[in-house]
Amino acid sequence: MTDAIKQDIKDYIMGEFLPGESPDELTDSTPLISGGILDSIATLKLVMYLEEKYRVSFEPHEVDKENLDTLDLVTALVTSKLS
Amino acid sequence: MQVSNTIKTTGMTPNVSKAVTSQSPSGSGAQNNARISIGHFALVGVQLLLVLVLLRQFQIEGKAFVELAAYSFAGFAVHAFLPLRWRLPFFALLSLGSIALVLGAANAAWIITIGAALVGICHLPVSVRLRTLLLLAAGGLLMAQRAAWLPIPWSEAIWPVLGSMFMFRLIGYYYDLRHDKAPVTAAQSIGYFAMLPNVTFPLFPVIDFKTYRRSHYAGDAYAGYQKGIDWIVRGVVHLILYRVFYYHLTLSPSEVVAPADLVQFLVANFMLYLRVSGLFHLVVGLLHLFGFQLPETHNRYLLASSFTDFWRRINIYWKDFMQKIFYFPAVFALKRLGTTRAVIIATMYVFVLTWFLHSYQWFWLRGSWLFTLQDMLFWAVLGVLVVLNSLYEIKYGRRRSLGAQVFSLSDFAVTVAKTYATFWFICVLWSFWTSESVSDWWLLWSALGGPFTLKVLLFPMLALVIIVVGSLPSSQPGASRNPQAALKLLRRERLATVAILAALLTISVEAVHTQLGSQVATTVHSLRSAHLSRLDNAKLERGYYEGLLDVGRFNSQLWEVYAKKPTNWLAADFTGLKRFTGDFVQTELIPSAVSESQYGPITTNRHGLRDQAYADARPANTWRVAVLGPSNVMGWGVPDGGTFEALLEIQLNKTPLGSGHQRFELLNFGVPGYQPPQQMMNFDRAQRLQANVVLYVATGRELTRSAVYLAEVMNKRLAIPYPALQAIVDKAGVTPGMDENEAHKRLQPLAEEILKVVYQDIAERGRLAGMRLVWAFLPQVRNGSWQEETPDALRAAKAAGFHTINLEDIYQGHPIEKTRLAEWDDHPSAFAHRLIAERLYRELSLQADQLFGPIRP
Repeated sequence: MTDAIKQDIKDYIMGEFLPGESPDELTDSTPLISGGILDSIATLKLVMYLEEKYRVSFEPHEVDKENLDTLDLVTALVTSKLS
Repeated sequence: MQVSNTIKTTGMTPNVSKAVTSQSPSGSGAQNNARISIGHFALVGVQLLLVLVLLRQFQIEGKAFVELAAYSFAGFAVHAFLPLRWRLPFFALLSLGSIALVLGAANAAWIITIGAALVGICHLPVSVRLRTLLLLAAGGLLMAQRAAWLPIPWSEAIWPVLGSMFMFRLIGYYYDLRHDKAPVTAAQSIGYFAMLPNVTFPLFPVIDFKTYRRSHYAGDAYAGYQKGIDWIVRGVVHLILYRVFYYHLTLSPSEVVAPADLVQFLVANFMLYLRVSGLFHLVVGLLHLFGFQLPETHNRYLLASSFTDFWRRINIYWKDFMQKIFYFPAVFALKRLGTTRAVIIATMYVFVLTWFLHSYQWFWLRGSWLFTLQDMLFWAVLGVLVVLNSLYEIKYGRRRSLGAQVFSLSDFAVTVAKTYATFWFICVLWSFWTSESVSDWWLLWSALGGPFTLKVLLFPMLALVIIVVGSLPSSQPGASRNPQAALKLLRRERLATVAILAALLTISVEAVHTQLGSQVATTVHSLRSAHLSRLDNAKLERGYYEGLLDVGRFNSQLWEVYAKKPTNWLAADFTGLKRFTGDFVQTELIPSAVSESQYGPITTNRHGLRDQAYADARPANTWRVAVLGPSNVMGWGVPDGGTFEALLEIQLNKTPLGSGHQRFELLNFGVPGYQPPQQMMNFDRAQRLQANVVLYVATGRELTRSAVYLAEVMNKRLAIPYPALQAIVDKAGVTPGMDENEAHKRLQPLAEEILKVVYQDIAERGRLAGMRLVWAFLPQVRNGSWQEETPDALRAAKAAGFHTINLEDIYQGHPIEKTRLAEWDDHPSAFAHRLIAERLYRELSLQADQLFGPIRP
């Protein structure tokens, strides 16, 4: 399940923010926020997507580098909310 | 062509970047990261020594910071070899020690006590609501004290530092305490608020508490230390570039008369921001030496290609603070309205708050609120532009890339064009923000009607070259993810840092820069010293004469000087001493008034002179000397009897000069804020009191001050009772009610003519009344451009027939700390008044036969 969630998040990020880029370049530990891929608007779009897709809700203080800076971290946060 | 693009550098090496998100500071990762080899330590140590010499050579941020840097570097040498668990406590102690080092033990004790109370409230075991209320109450109490509504038992000197430490960081700290589960240690809290080198920098980046904790040795120690040195050197480069603009390129609005001036004004005004980016680099670089591997504070903000990009690149910590504390909570609260609407409202909310918090910051640092129309409009316009940009990005996205990207000339050209347009738009917006009034700003654009010269292309071309070069793709692909590339980048940046250090140190040596021609040598010499610019000196001068401290922006370095000024400086304000006359002279001293200051009483006699009582009629066989001048003649900041006029009177009566009368009465006609044209009316009073000697004390920039005063009079629609002055005003095309800056622009070319009229009027009327005429130049205690008009004034005084005395070297050999009242007040001290009295006596004695010789019937 975790892998499926991670793949879904990766697909969303690739499709929404990195069209035309090679998916191989986006690894589980690629810095998303500190690497400039997710700015505030992109981060919000991702969060809204995750809330809608997985029927989970985020708190404003969770929207930060510590929770969302890599695919691994985003996946872990979503998984923890689902469990 | 394959070139790299564009994962933004985070300012961290890859392992740092990774570790920030994955390791806790106390974990084994941090333990491993914290070690440094002797070889690497030696490399860092040598560079820090060079940095210290560089800071000293260029007097970066003054003596206090250079000393603090030496203290910090010594602390680093100890800190680097301590066991990891001792490092944060050591940093906390070192930070506390820095406060005592700079502000003294008593002030440090107060800051620590107040800070401990505030932090203590955050940790009280009561409900969040009660804790919040208590914090607000404590903040309210401190604000009332900062505004001087309530008394304080501590020195006012602590306010800017206390404000800077707690005004924003306490908000972030309280927020993180509520949401971050990791326990907070005392050392973390102390280190966070007392944070070295905050005590010397009231303008301090808003460092996020969570990032501060998580970044501690989150990556390799040596890489972090090297990054710190790179950023410190980058900060020094910013600060030296800032000085180029601050000392040599800034113009006052009245100097903007041609399109080339306007372009220079716009660019130089914006480039003053280099000081903030330079300081922030210094601060964060220094924190890296203690293991805080924080992200960068600014990311090449001159290369912003849109308004949102500009907001993201400039002062990144502020953007992150606003995003975390206000933006995300607002968007979440509003998301039922839909993402787009929520983003629009939250963005505008953030800009309104940014405007308010800017004033809030000003309040803590200066003690007054800063609410101006320009401020409101600036943030409103920037907010609207960022919203529009955000809407565009929501709809069309923003180009991002993960790695190597094919270089396209058309894409490059579009990026350069967007960046160039953004740069100029920001320059214009910035000029509006920092103007003293909307009409002042509007008036700037009249310069477009002036002559176009090739010089107008200088800054546009320079900006274009910088933007083109800066927009070229980086040659270091994937450095944020590839360890090999990261290592290569680290080595390359280290080499660049050492090269810059060596170059700056070499050029700073006098034996080197004097070989490069006098112009280069003079420029380098000026860049090596920390002082106020020509324009800030002029502002200080204006404050000095008018009692107004119109320093309403952080872009002027002068605010830092005034930040130290106590709220009730001298207690006796001009308001209690002066009254309005409604005519050309505008104000005069109130007769028979008494006011108290910490320097002693200020008393006026029944004639409205700051002097002892004198009869209306001049006694027989007496030289009655009318001493005309502004506040330094009146004796601002010295007690009754301590003015040079009073001391000179005693000396003259003790050892009279000349073979004429043997009794002297010196009448102090000094009035704070008086400009040369006002002395014409002051002279009327001297005649009424039967003075037979007039001593006109000129105090620098007589020509400009005369033009400025006539501009003010015309703006206020006051009648000019002197036909010769009115004729000059008419010749300049200045009409009643005209904007003061516009009037000044027109009158400045005629300034010498105005001053000649002033001197000639006084001299002719004095000669007709049989007076002896003396003109003395008394310089300001601070060196600089004050004296640039002195030769012209001296010539005009001689031509009018005054005996002249030039005291231009009177303060030489005496430290300024001894001759001025305070750093924020350049009036002569009691010591300086004694110097002036002694020197004047000597100078008068040289001309005693002509001045005080026998009276011929």
